[in-house]
Amino acid sequence: MKRLVLLLALPLFSFAVNAKDQLHLYNWNNYIAPETVKRFEDACKCEVVQTYYSDNEELLAKLAAGAKGYDILVPTSNAMQSLIKGGQLKPIDKTQLPNLKNIDPAYLKTPFDPDNKYSVPYAMSLTVIGYNDQKIKELGLPTDTWAVVFDPQHLQKLKGRITVLDSSSELFAAALKYLGYSANDLDEAHWKQAAAVIKKAKPYWAAFNASSYIKELTVGNIWLVHGYSNDFFQANLDAQAAGRPFHILHGLPKEGAVLAVDNMVIHKDAPRPDLAHKFMNFMLEGKNSAELTNLIGSGNPNKDALKYIKPEILKNPAIFPDKAMLSKLEQLKDLTAAQRRVRNRMWTEIKAGR
Amino acid sequence: MRRRPVALWTAAFAGYAFLYIPLVIVVVYSFNDSRLNAEWVGFTFGWYDKLFHNEEMLTAAGNSLLIALVASAVSTLLGTMAGVAMYRYRAKLLSILVLTPIAIPEILMGVSLLIFFVMLNFTLGLVSVALAHIAFCIGFVAIVVRARLAGMDESLTEAARDCGATPFQAFMHVTLPLIMPGVIAGALMAFTLSIDDFVITFFTAGAGTVTLPLQIYSMIKIAVTPEVNAVSTLLMLLTLALIVIASHLTPSLLRSD
Amino acid sequence: MAARPEARLGKWLVSGLPLLYLIAFFAIPALIMVLASFRTPGEFGGLSPLVENGKIDLNLESYSRFFTDSIYAQIFAKSVWYALLTTFFCLLLAYPLAALVAKSGKKHRDLLLLLVILPFWSNFLIRVYAWMIILGPNAALARSVNGLLSWFGHEPVPLLFSSFAVLVCLVYVHLPFMVLPLYANLEKHDQALLDAAQDLGANGWQRFWRITFPLSLPGVYAGAALVFIPALGIFAIPDILGGPEDSLIGNVIKQQFLETRDWPFGSVLSIVLTVAALALAGLAAWVARGNLGTPSSGGDTRA
Repeated sequence: MKRLVLLLALPLFSFAVNAKDQLHLYNWNNYIAPETVKRFEDACKCEVVQTYYSDNEELLAKLAAGAKGYDILVPTSNAMQSLIKGGQLKPIDKTQLPNLKNIDPAYLKTPFDPDNKYSVPYAMSLTVIGYNDQKIKELGLPTDTWAVVFDPQHLQKLKGRITVLDSSSELFAAALKYLGYSANDLDEAHWKQAAAVIKKAKPYWAAFNASSYIKELTVGNIWLVHGYSNDFFQANLDAQAAGRPFHILHGLPKEGAVLAVDNMVIHKDAPRPDLAHKFMNFMLEGKNSAELTNLIGSGNPNKDALKYIKPEILKNPAIFPDKAMLSKLEQLKDLTAAQRRVRNRMWTEIKAGR
Repeated sequence: MRRRPVALWTAAFAGYAFLYIPLVIVVVYSFNDSRLNAEWVGFTFGWYDKLFHNEEMLTAAGNSLLIALVASAVSTLLGTMAGVAMYRYRAKLLSILVLTPIAIPEILMGVSLLIFFVMLNFTLGLVSVALAHIAFCIGFVAIVVRARLAGMDESLTEAARDCGATPFQAFMHVTLPLIMPGVIAGALMAFTLSIDDFVITFFTAGAGTVTLPLQIYSMIKIAVTPEVNAVSTLLMLLTLALIVIASHLTPSLLRSD
Repeated sequence: MAARPEARLGKWLVSGLPLLYLIAFFAIPALIMVLASFRTPGEFGGLSPLVENGKIDLNLESYSRFFTDSIYAQIFAKSVWYALLTTFFCLLLAYPLAALVAKSGKKHRDLLLLLVILPFWSNFLIRVYAWMIILGPNAALARSVNGLLSWFGHEPVPLLFSSFAVLVCLVYVHLPFMVLPLYANLEKHDQALLDAAQDLGANGWQRFWRITFPLSLPGVYAGAALVFIPALGIFAIPDILGGPEDSLIGNVIKQQFLETRDWPFGSVLSIVLTVAALALAGLAAWVARGNLGTPSSGGDTRA
C-alpha cells in the first residue's frame, strides 16, 4: 500500500528536487550503465535526469520544433552532422576535457566534425548480419556476404525467416555495398539498382523490423537478421541464459558494412554546460567508458578503456573489427533535402509493394 | 419475462475471451524469467522486485496516472459541454473542432503543439502534456455524449423548465443523470487514451518529463523486459482499485438511474 | 428554450468553453502546420524560414507532388480498406459485449463495463507483444491453423508479420472505442418495447433487427467514427507486426516527419487524410439520415 501511495506521490516530489543541480541527459535507453550514472552523480554532487529517444530522427524532429532544456545529446554521426549544420549545438571547451586524449585518434577529426569542435565520440556499433548458428549451418548458407540477404538463390531457403531493418538509409547502404558501391553513393542510377535488388529480395523477407527482431531471433522464429552488432551480442547472452540449443552469431559481410558512431554533444540552449563538460570528461575516462561496452557489447573508441573491457568482447570482430574490416566500414553521411526526398519516394514504392 | 438468450451470452463471452487472452499473457509473462520475454522460460518474482527499486519507471507510471486523471477529468467536463452544445445548439464550428483532433495524425498534432508551446515560451513539462491530452480527448467524450443525447426525450427537460427550473437546474437534475452512462463511457475512453498515449506525449514532454509510454517505447529497440509487464499489470490494478473506490464514495453521482 | 438572460449565458458558456479550449490548443497549432504545408522544408529538417530575403516563401510544391503521384492515393486506398475492415469486425465483436453489459442488472453492469476496458489500461506495446506471442509460428494457434492447412495440401501460412496480424491487432486495439458508445446507447433502450414485440410474435432475430439495431444506430455511428477515423492514421501496428507489404498511410506520414524530415509534405499528407476522414464520416452520416428517414436529432451533421 505504501508503494502505491509513493507511486502517486512521486511526480509531486519531482518538483521539490528541482533545487538540486541537474544535468539533463537525452540519450538512447540502456546506453549508459546505471553504475556509471551513480558514480558521476556522487562525483559531481548533482542529479542526472535522463530522458530517452529510440531513434535519431525522433531527436532531430523534437529539436527542430524548438524543444530545449537538454544539456547532453547522443546523436549518431549523420544526425550530428545535421545538428551542426542547423546550428543546434554549442561548441565544446576542450580545456575542460583533459581526458580527450584517451580517444583513439582514428575516431577524431572526422568529416562530420573536423577539429571536434562540437563532439566527442561515445560508443559505436556495426550494422551486420546476425544469425541462428544451428539453423544456418543446417541450411548451408554463407554468413560473410550480403548475398544471403539479397540473393533469391540463398533466400529461397530462408523464406519467412529473415528480417531486415526498417530504415531506408541502412537498407539502401547494405544493398549499395552488395552491388559494390559505397554506402554513401549519391548516384540516383545506383540507388535505382539498389531499389531493384531490394524489391527482388522482399518477397522472401518476413518483415522490415527495427524493434522486435531481436526477440524473434533469440526465440528461434527468425533465423537471420540485418541488424546491429550490440543487439546480437545481447541476443546471444539471452539465448544462452534461456538455455536454447543455438547461438546468435555475427556475420561480417566481406563487401563491407555501416559503422555507427554515437557522439556526446551539447545543445546550444543547454542550461548547465558546466555540468555537461564535467560529464563528458567523466565519460572519457577509460573505466567509465568500458562499463557500457561490458554491459551491452558496444564498440568503444577509447584507447584507455580497452584494458577494462572483458576479453571475450575485445576478441569479437563485430564489436572490435580488425584493420581489414575497418577499411571496409563506412559511416553514413547525411543527405540533402532533395536527396532525402528522392530516397523516400523509392522507399515508399518499396514498402507499398509496387 | 426476462430471457437470457444463449446466442448473446456466447457471443459476448467470445468477445471477453478475445479481450482477455492477450491480457492473461501480459500478466503471466510478468513473471517470466527471460529478459527478452518472447517465450516462457521460467517463473520468477524478480521483475517485480526490480520494478520496486526502479525509481525512474515508478515515477513514469505515477506521472502517467496523474496526467490521465487530470486530462480525463477536464476533457470529460469540456467534452460533455461540447456534446450538449453540438446536440442542442447545433454548434457547427464546435462540431468540426471536436471531430478534427480525432482525425488528424498524432504526429502532426504533436509537432504542431510543440512548435506552439515553443512560440509561447511555455516550459514543457507535465502541464504541457496534460493540455495536449485534453485537446484530443474532448472529441471522444463529445461524440459519445451527443450519441447518447440523440433520441433522448426532450419532454422531460421541458417539463422541468415548465415547473420553474432554471436551465442549469434542469441540466443538473434531469439531463445529466440521463446522459450519465454516456459521460462515464466518455471519461473511460479519455482516461484510456491519455494513459497510453505516446506520439503526442513524446513531442510535448519536457526535458525531465517521463511518462510510462515514453519510458517503454524508448526500450523498444533494446528489450521490453518483463519489468514492463509488471508495471503495466500494477498500473492496471491500481486504476481499477481507484475506480472501484471512487464509485463507492460517490454512488449517487455515478449511478445512472 | 426561453430566451432568458441566464439561458443565453448558459448557452454561451456550454458551447464557448470547449470552443475556446480547442481553438487555443488545437486550432491554432493546427493552423501552424496547415501553413507549413505551403512552405519549403528546411535543409536539415523542420521548415525553411518563412520570410526569405524580404519575400514570403509560400508555394504549392508539396501539394502538387501529392496530387501528381499516384502511389500515395494507392496507399491511402489500402488504409481506408484496412480501417473499414477494422470497423466492421469491431462492430461484430463489440455489439454482443455492449448489449450484455447494457442488459445486465445494476449490480453487475458497472463491473462488466470496467472488465471491458480494463485490458486497455495496460500498455499498448505490451499488448501488441502479447499478440506476437499468440500469433508466433511455434504457438498453438499457428500450429493448429497450419496443421489444418497442410491437411488440405496448402503451404503453411505465417500468422505473424502479415496483414492478418495487423488486422487482428487493429481490431483489438480499437474495440473499446466501439463498445463504449454502443453501450451508452443500448443502455437506454426500453425493454418494454422488446417485450411488447415478443408478445406480438416477433422472434429474437426480428426483435434485434427491427427494433434494437435501428434504435442503436446513433451509437453504431459514434462507435464507427471513433474506430474508423483513428484507424486510418495508425502506424505503430504495421511497424511492429506487419509484413513487408503492410505499410499504411500513417507510416508514410511518420516517415515524412522523421526519416525524410520533409514537414511540408508530411503536413500535406496529414491534411488530405484529415479532410478525407471527415468527409467520409460526413458522407456516412448523410447516407444514414437519408436511408433511415428517422429525424435524427439536432446537430447530427457528422456521424
